[in-house]
Amino acid sequence: MNNRFLINFTPGSTMMHKLTGGTKVLLFVLFTIAIIATFDVRVIAVLSILPIAAIISMKPNYKPIRFMIGFMVLVVGIIGSLMLLLVSPNAGLTNVGGSTVIWRLGENFFVTKETLWYIFAMFVKRLASFMVVIAFVLATTPSEFASGLAFLHVPYKVCTIVSLAYRTIPDIARRYTDIKNSMQMRGVELSKKASLGKRLKATAALLVPLVVSSFGKVEVIANAMDLRGFGRLKKRTWYSEHELTKADKVLRKLCILFTIGIVAYIVWFRVINPWPVTYWSPFIAREDIVKVGRFETLSILKWFGK
Amino acid sequence: MEEKKNIGKLLLGEWNTKTIVAVAVGAALFGVLMCYGGIPVFTNTSLTTAMLVPVIVGGLFGPLPAFVAAGVGNVIADLIGGWGMWFDWSIGNAVMAFCVGLLPVYGANIKEGVFEVKHMVIYAICCILGNVISFGVITPIFTVIFYGGDLEVTFIQAFAATLGNFAVLVVVGIPVLKVLANRYKSRSNLAQEHSDNY
Repeated sequence: MNNRFLINFTPGSTMMHKLTGGTKVLLFVLFTIAIIATFDVRVIAVLSILPIAAIISMKPNYKPIRFMIGFMVLVVGIIGSLMLLLVSPNAGLTNVGGSTVIWRLGENFFVTKETLWYIFAMFVKRLASFMVVIAFVLATTPSEFASGLAFLHVPYKVCTIVSLAYRTIPDIARRYTDIKNSMQMRGVELSKKASLGKRLKATAALLVPLVVSSFGKVEVIANAMDLRGFGRLKKRTWYSEHELTKADKVLRKLCILFTIGIVAYIVWFRVINPWPVTYWSPFIAREDIVKVGRFETLSILKWFGK
Repeated sequence: MEEKKNIGKLLLGEWNTKTIVAVAVGAALFGVLMCYGGIPVFTNTSLTTAMLVPVIVGGLFGPLPAFVAAGVGNVIADLIGGWGMWFDWSIGNAVMAFCVGLLPVYGANIKEGVFEVKHMVIYAICCILGNVISFGVITPIFTVIFYGGDLEVTFIQAFAATLGNFAVLVVVGIPVLKVLANRYKSRSNLAQEHSDNY
């Protein structure tokens, strides 16, 4: 379980690691907004170059990354797509703007070219935003994260929550494995061999000590923080915030340009001159797009209509 | 006027050091439980025990701490779970936690051992309403805005999530709250300075 964690606790030595927390958080927020704002696969592809380059430049341990991406392809890519195809095979009509059947099996199950493109584009979008997250998590330690949030004028109590939570995960995960192992040693069956009722009881027996011991620590930590004068003043300085490096200065200037770019993109392509349907696709010209309201194809509403 | 001020205060909760640490620990616990604490029911469907965290945090500290704990916790769960970021669901879960954590607002004061049948009924209603509002309205809206997702799939997932959450929140949540309330009640006849130190 331990090698599944990407979270980074020691400051690294590459250029990305050495940036200040403020720059990292700023870049993360901007990239996330940009990827959420666009529905065009070409733009997403361009946007994801930098996060991927950042991941490679940090020379990370690739094992957990590969595992996570594999897991995501399985859960979101394969299972999610099958579910989409089963539940609403005509999703391409509302979101891409066309319905070219390429394979049909009965009245309610068919595959259209547009639906396949829709699945692909949505997956690319989710994957790109996940890349941004991975790059950010690899580069940032909990205290840098907190100081970076403070740089964006988030109240420092919220920053402390984030960094403390981030830092507590391995502790809790370790305690969870410990309790689980000791429970299993005493003969509590947690695998699928036991019946559902037994498993429910066993999980409850496992959760109670975990929750109690986790919240039992709250008082100790809170007292330690109070003793050091936490929350006495309105402002706080951050130990991990250091002087700007050269890369910081360059990236912060680029961030300004990037922000202007995002705003311009949203204003022009989403407000003034929006694409008629949600997703852009390479094989439908703008004039041929069939526009269908999002609610007209909902089968749930059809039941109510009758 | 006095009444209104009090409700506002209860909604916000008291943000001292203890609350901050509890919210942080709650968020981490939420994240870990969401990934590893599911009770497998069928293949690919599990009752997530993470929903207990907003119940406890909400009961002890109020709705806004529960909101923050669930929101941050869900982002953490996405980070360690490896299924990608689902900000739409994080927002939905946070709103649901807010509704679940409304306990102190309608008078169920866990810290002083007050949790009666009346409060249980209101709690169950709050759980249903919270789930319906957050997963039936808020999550679909953000799914469409953020990812252009398909509404029908989202509704089916939301329906499954609502049933599962409701089962955990009511079947496990009420006994947990009752136990917590009893624990605090047995302590509450002690003087403040003795009870809080150890």
